[in-house]
Amino acid sequence: MNKDTILEVKNVSKRFTSKGVTVKAVTDVSFNVGKGETIGIVGESGCGKTTLGRCIVRAHEASEGEVWYRTESGEELDFLKVDKKKMKEIRKEIQMIFQDPYSSLDPRMTVLDIIKEPLQANYPKMPKAEMDALAKQMAEKVGLNPAYLMRYPHAFSGGQRQRIGIARALVVKPQLIVCDEAVSALDVSIQAQVINLLRDLQKEMNLTYLFISHDLSVVEHISDKVGVMYLGRLVEFAPTEDMFKKPMHPYTEALLSAVPVADPTIKRERIPLMGEIPNPANPPSGCYFHERCRYCTQKCVDEAPELKTMPDGRLCACHRAEELSLGGFDYEVQGTEA
Amino acid sequence: MDKDTILKVEDLHVDINMLEGKLTPVRGVNFEIKRGETLGLVGESGCGKSLTCKAILAINDKKCKASGNIIFNSEETGEVNLLDLNPRGEEIRNIRGKHISMIFQEPMVAFSPMYTIGNQINECTRLHITKDKKKSKEITLEVMRKVGIANVEKRYNQYPHEFSGGMLQRALIAMALVCNPQMLIADEPTTALDVTIQAQILELMKELQKDFNMAILFITHDLGTVAKMCDRVAVMYLGKVVETGTAEAIFADPQHPYTRGLMGSVHKIGQKKQDRLFSIEGTVPLAMNLPKQCGFYERCDARIEGLCDRMEPELVQTEDGHQVACFACNNEKCRKQREEAEKLLAAEKA
Repeated sequence: MNKDTILEVKNVSKRFTSKGVTVKAVTDVSFNVGKGETIGIVGESGCGKTTLGRCIVRAHEASEGEVWYRTESGEELDFLKVDKKKMKEIRKEIQMIFQDPYSSLDPRMTVLDIIKEPLQANYPKMPKAEMDALAKQMAEKVGLNPAYLMRYPHAFSGGQRQRIGIARALVVKPQLIVCDEAVSALDVSIQAQVINLLRDLQKEMNLTYLFISHDLSVVEHISDKVGVMYLGRLVEFAPTEDMFKKPMHPYTEALLSAVPVADPTIKRERIPLMGEIPNPANPPSGCYFHERCRYCTQKCVDEAPELKTMPDGRLCACHRAEELSLGGFDYEVQGTEA
Repeated sequence: MDKDTILKVEDLHVDINMLEGKLTPVRGVNFEIKRGETLGLVGESGCGKSLTCKAILAINDKKCKASGNIIFNSEETGEVNLLDLNPRGEEIRNIRGKHISMIFQEPMVAFSPMYTIGNQINECTRLHITKDKKKSKEITLEVMRKVGIANVEKRYNQYPHEFSGGMLQRALIAMALVCNPQMLIADEPTTALDVTIQAQILELMKELQKDFNMAILFITHDLGTVAKMCDRVAVMYLGKVVETGTAEAIFADPQHPYTRGLMGSVHKIGQKKQDRLFSIEGTVPLAMNLPKQCGFYERCDARIEGLCDRMEPELVQTEDGHQVACFACNNEKCRKQREEAEKLLAAEKA
């Protein structure tokens, strides 16, 4: 494992079985996360991005694969294999921020108790006064008025609730945070506030984010690298600007072309995707995307492409990645406008 | 009323009486829609955009009291004030679904899980077009085909849970269009869908709009879809329209501080990376016991102390087709309004 790497995901798969039907929610996903980086994971609903995030924090047990993690003390371990006691120690270093700030907070706990709960779970011997002090400090850091901490979640607006969720995740001083659609449920002006907050906290606390979202503009703004998932597989993984300028996988190209741009003067041609996402319980042969791909060849039907490292260091799972020249967003033109 | 105007909303108020007091989520909304045009109604949650469109069809909850004028103008019905009609009466039921129909936000929730899709679309056909079962089924199948549902014979007999989100939204659009309405109200029709499906649905709506020459009132908070879909835009804040204009003008040169903030807080892909997004501080206040001041006063970065917190600006025409409600905007009409307001305040003082 490289020294700057904090997380190395290796061939992780997750299968769910129900009534004799097995669904491969995540198949063979591998990527590295550097310390202090923000990695965006994008894809349509049902592509397995949430399951992947949950496998990484070990809220689900992955069926196969390894997740190597460098702890704060510098130890490298595959935490899919570590025992319960060790896991408990690592847990506080990896936290999660959830999507819906309305359902992820217990309505019967005060905000102070909600923020304090991770401390109680991870440091049972910590004196109560110290916990309160830490929780209050954290609340202030995320922009909540400490005078309101004795109130219950219902008294707060959506943006404030998401701040509570963030304070709760950060109070145990984690290294890695998995943000699962952390801003999707918020209004745009509130979204901007929360995104700014996340970035400020990242700088201050040297956090690493795994940012799972379906909103490509938000991901482009916040991420250093982006991974695109389709039907449980990682199809492309590259530095943000490279990918948005010049995607290598046909699915990424189609996805980017569908993003509406907040500027009526820009008319972009959309690359139509034929049909719908196939049923993950019965995926197509060869490349999972071949039925909807406009560059499909016989090889794509027969043979599943592997996630390969391209000459420029990007990862892409497409047989024709190197010969195709795909179109993305025009950076220069819009860049000068802004 | 102008012959080209299909719907005109004048000074619409919606009040809700609650134990805590009177809530006024809609406080005097004005706009009009021309035939075949798409008007985008933009604003954050709680600004009253959904209540406004529900007031048009009189399908708001019983405790919501609407007042003002909503004038609907069509060849068949002539000019009618929809608010004068009995919300449960024959007349509004004739308009609802036939002349004006609506698409809802979450297709999963809008359909009843107990009946087949065909059955539910048929309900509308049978109510407004024909009582003949065979004919009505034919019409239903035809419109299902039109919105791009494949294999309609089979789909007709399927239940909502057998449809994907995108297909279900198509079915909902089919239901809305089966009577060839002249106006369609779309309340966040693509918010619950993925980007690729969203793009398909938006394109479908645009095509169908051309075919039917239909006016669309498009309600959303997503500025990207507004840019793609709308001819004109009305921006709402705290129950009032604060700015209207053509989509090009609003995006290129937003006047009202709220519109500017809204535009600034959206990151455009490809834009130069600033570290921080522009954000509007604070949150939307609750529309109860509001003081006599500009609704945006507390969050505004251009506010004028002593004026904006004492008077509320009206919508004024700044250019052809562009209206703004703000004292602080730098143009002739807004300055004039400001001077008048200042005079009035000085007179009050004296």
